[in-house]
Amino acid sequence: MIRQRLGKDLLFFDGGMGTLLQEKGLAPGELPETWNLTHSEEIYKIHRQYIEAGSDIILTNTFGANALKFHDDSCSLEEIIKAAVSHVKKAEREALLQTGDERKIYTALDVGPTGKLLKPMGDLEFETAYEAFKEVVILGEQAGADLIHIETMSDTYELKAAVLAAKENTSLPVFATVIFDERKKLLTGADVSSVVALLEGLGVDALGINCAMGPKEMLPVLEELIKYSSVPIIVKPNAGLPKQRDGKTYYDVTEDEFAAYMEQIVRMGACVIGGCCGTTPEHIRAMRKRCENAELVPVTEKEFTVVSSYGQSVILGEGSKIIGERINPTGKKRFKQALKEHDLDYILREGITQQDQGAHILDVNVGLPDIDEPALMEEVVQELQSVVNIPLQIDTVDEKAMEKALRIYNGKAMVNSVSGKKESMEKVFPLVKKYGGVVIGLTLDEDGIPADADGRVRIAEKIIKTAEKFGIKKKDIVIDALAMTISSEPEGAKVTLETLRRLRDEIGVNTVLGVSNISFGLPCRPIVNAAFYTMAMLNGLSAGIINPSSEDMMKSWYAYHALMNLDNNCEQYIQKYANSVVSTNIMKTSELSETKLKGENDRSRKSSSKMTLQEAIEKGLRDDAGKITTDMIATEAPLDIINEELIPALNHVGDGFEKGTVFLPQLLMSAEAAKSAFSVLKEKMEKSGEIREKKGRVILATVKGDIHDIGKNIVKVLLENYSFDVIDLGKDVSPEKIVETACEKQVPLVGLSALMTTTVVSMEETIKMLREKKPDCKVMVGGAVLNQEYADMIGADFYGKDAMQSVHYAEKIFKDALQKSADKKE
Amino acid sequence: MEKCFQEAVRYLGYGKNPVDEATSRLVEKGFLELEKVSALRSVFRIFEMNRIDEEKVAIGTLQISSKSLARNLNHCEKAVLFGATLGTGVDRLIARTSLTDMANAVVLQACAAAMLEEFCDEKQFEIGEELEKEGLYLRPRFSPGYGDFDIGFQKSFMQMLDCAKAIGLTMTESFMMTPTKSVTAVIGASRIKERCPIAGCEVCDKKECIYRR
Repeated sequence: MIRQRLGKDLLFFDGGMGTLLQEKGLAPGELPETWNLTHSEEIYKIHRQYIEAGSDIILTNTFGANALKFHDDSCSLEEIIKAAVSHVKKAEREALLQTGDERKIYTALDVGPTGKLLKPMGDLEFETAYEAFKEVVILGEQAGADLIHIETMSDTYELKAAVLAAKENTSLPVFATVIFDERKKLLTGADVSSVVALLEGLGVDALGINCAMGPKEMLPVLEELIKYSSVPIIVKPNAGLPKQRDGKTYYDVTEDEFAAYMEQIVRMGACVIGGCCGTTPEHIRAMRKRCENAELVPVTEKEFTVVSSYGQSVILGEGSKIIGERINPTGKKRFKQALKEHDLDYILREGITQQDQGAHILDVNVGLPDIDEPALMEEVVQELQSVVNIPLQIDTVDEKAMEKALRIYNGKAMVNSVSGKKESMEKVFPLVKKYGGVVIGLTLDEDGIPADADGRVRIAEKIIKTAEKFGIKKKDIVIDALAMTISSEPEGAKVTLETLRRLRDEIGVNTVLGVSNISFGLPCRPIVNAAFYTMAMLNGLSAGIINPSSEDMMKSWYAYHALMNLDNNCEQYIQKYANSVVSTNIMKTSELSETKLKGENDRSRKSSSKMTLQEAIEKGLRDDAGKITTDMIATEAPLDIINEELIPALNHVGDGFEKGTVFLPQLLMSAEAAKSAFSVLKEKMEKSGEIREKKGRVILATVKGDIHDIGKNIVKVLLENYSFDVIDLGKDVSPEKIVETACEKQVPLVGLSALMTTTVVSMEETIKMLREKKPDCKVMVGGAVLNQEYADMIGADFYGKDAMQSVHYAEKIFKDALQKSADKKE
Repeated sequence: MEKCFQEAVRYLGYGKNPVDEATSRLVEKGFLELEKVSALRSVFRIFEMNRIDEEKVAIGTLQISSKSLARNLNHCEKAVLFGATLGTGVDRLIARTSLTDMANAVVLQACAAAMLEEFCDEKQFEIGEELEKEGLYLRPRFSPGYGDFDIGFQKSFMQMLDCAKAIGLTMTESFMMTPTKSVTAVIGASRIKERCPIAGCEVCDKKECIYRR
């Protein structure tokens, strides 16, 4: 078995296939995999040349053989893969027969990317990609492949789909290599440590880098791979960087140069080597000759605790990391409402704000009674990873929700949590083992929470030991020392701090805390929280679950890192606070906050003393609009403010836009300013039980197949300002979903957007279906490719050439409807 | 940079009107933000081409029926297939900004479009310099979807350039490019030097367009 030889024997891959096929007449754009059937002899010969040159592992000619590339072709995938494997086997038999060599040759099923981008950036569903890879790997194993080699991946998400498919559906060893560029990043932005974290978490047998660069350019990437990887490393460079001559691509690193670099690469720590584009059997022969006797560097266990997102990794144990706690309904009325109303935008904004405030990781908890938590968790995780690039912490007690989230998460997640209870460990550890992850272990078990540090440390040890049995390493466990409120547990803080310290010093494990629990039941909680936070960090807290919008907590965090020389030259601290003024007066906190508030109000009055709300909105000054409104509600009724200031301002700007004196960015700046005023008013009205009546419901959607939603989003902002209740179905929305929502929620107006001629077809289909199922529903359309004529052709009721037009049309529809119902009553 | 700025303002619908101060600040900030998240990449390949008649051309082995393209490639003997992208980071930034500030999102959108055009112009200029050594001069870029040039050919172009692997540029089922801020085009190369190698609006048939230069 190749698994046993990995890391012990230097193993040689083959070299380029595509470049050789092009020389033999493969046309640009032609699918090379079809040559397994149409040019079997040529394929066989190339394999044989590589075996004779010294390759141990031969890749089948199946790089692009997947259902997504082959769906419109005449030959079946099964035929292609069978033939591809048999070509390698035949080459092996005949080459070894002739040379009398007893070398073992391994047939590696070559699996390349689908050529499509996964959602949310592209239109390919994660599970569709998974299914495509699944089909290929099953066929490969059936045909007799010895291992699966996933290569040339440039997107961690697709990589995860491929590795999962291989691991879940075959028993073969899995190798995975990716394309890094000169910035040491994947095309989709991932850095080296995040790729290593993902692949190790998924349990690949070897990982590494191939294509895009020559051996020399790969050296810096290799250095980092070696730093982080605890599994054997594969390196397969091109024969240099691609160059063009006479319209043809060529590579110019000679055989000897290539071999010399590869020797250096082995000495650095790679143990499976080969070539990619532009390398030939000659390169492989020279490489084998030169490297054959090079001594291997042993593969060692690296002790980094890494969580990752699609774009970056966070290493726990370097300073103290901030885990944002705000995506959680506990004790938050507004958040609960957002969950119930499926207001994902609100949840996403919470994520964005926390990242902007300094969070390194985001905790995600969407558990509420009467909610389909697994479905919502999956959706929220998917949406969040399209707008924030920091790692997520999956926080749930629902096993199904946890598995769903871990499966579709693009990276190595933090998992919140497991406890020392047998049942909990048996439930959570298998998931962490399968999908990878860093899991939080709570120091409680069947007997409850130990009152002293001894007991908590013992539970931590039990968790670590049990995890090991499941194949989870200590570095992938973070222990929660648990903070109990000092209002009922006088020794609570001391016990927690001692636990933290002992976990760091005696056990050598990373730690986490929900910090603010400590002050439950006390007044002015931020004072206690911030002080405790500093003490916890000093006692070894690797990550605090906190609210990064809390100024007190962030002050502690910045000060601690500056004080402990964890902030180089106090750079972060200075950047954050250089322009802040600290009052040196000593006074009670209550006085402090009052004074501060008063000062701010004075300032804002001063700055806006000459400005009315209407002016602030017309000028698009978002902050001022919010402040002025806050001042105004002390003396004026919200509805008066709306009617006398807000509406006139919006109308004025809207008129200007239509006349061509105000332009789109200005219109939207005013809209955002109005929005900020509205949110102040809304809060006030909710408190007093007052309701601003909505004019009516409108569905907005970008049609199926269309992924451009900026136009739709512009219309949304404006309609909301004019107090319409907008149901935003997003982009790439199927006609069925639009019609279903319109019927279910009794929506009288649907706005559809499409950017290209290719997607206007879906718009037409949606309109047809709406006419059939909900004939009283009006449809307005817009988008770059549309005009009145086109809109008429597809049967729309209205064509909005810009966003204001849609507002006017919506107002007209709802006015007519009101009129009608009034007439009926009479 | 100045040209990029002007183009972004034009994409925002200002036409010949002067831009206001607030928007101008947003545009400047937009370019800075984009610089941080974009990963500009391009790929090209030169093919022999043959203009079969007034509505048919062959690029390599690919046959295309299109009057507009045939007109664009008149007198050309080679065709440069070209692909470029700003990367997925830009799409993410715009998606994120759409949630927090639509005015800023719209400005970023316009800045990204201007940035992409400038990048394509730069790359085209470099390719042009090389080809001029052989006595060949470039024509304006022409993309699938222009005039009667069927957008379906985008797929063939991407395959011929191996765009997914080379620069991470892919396409959805409905021929939308992903990342969205991307271009595929053909650039004709001819022995005859013409006045203007780079053109956009001037060759478009959509004369009533509000974004027209």
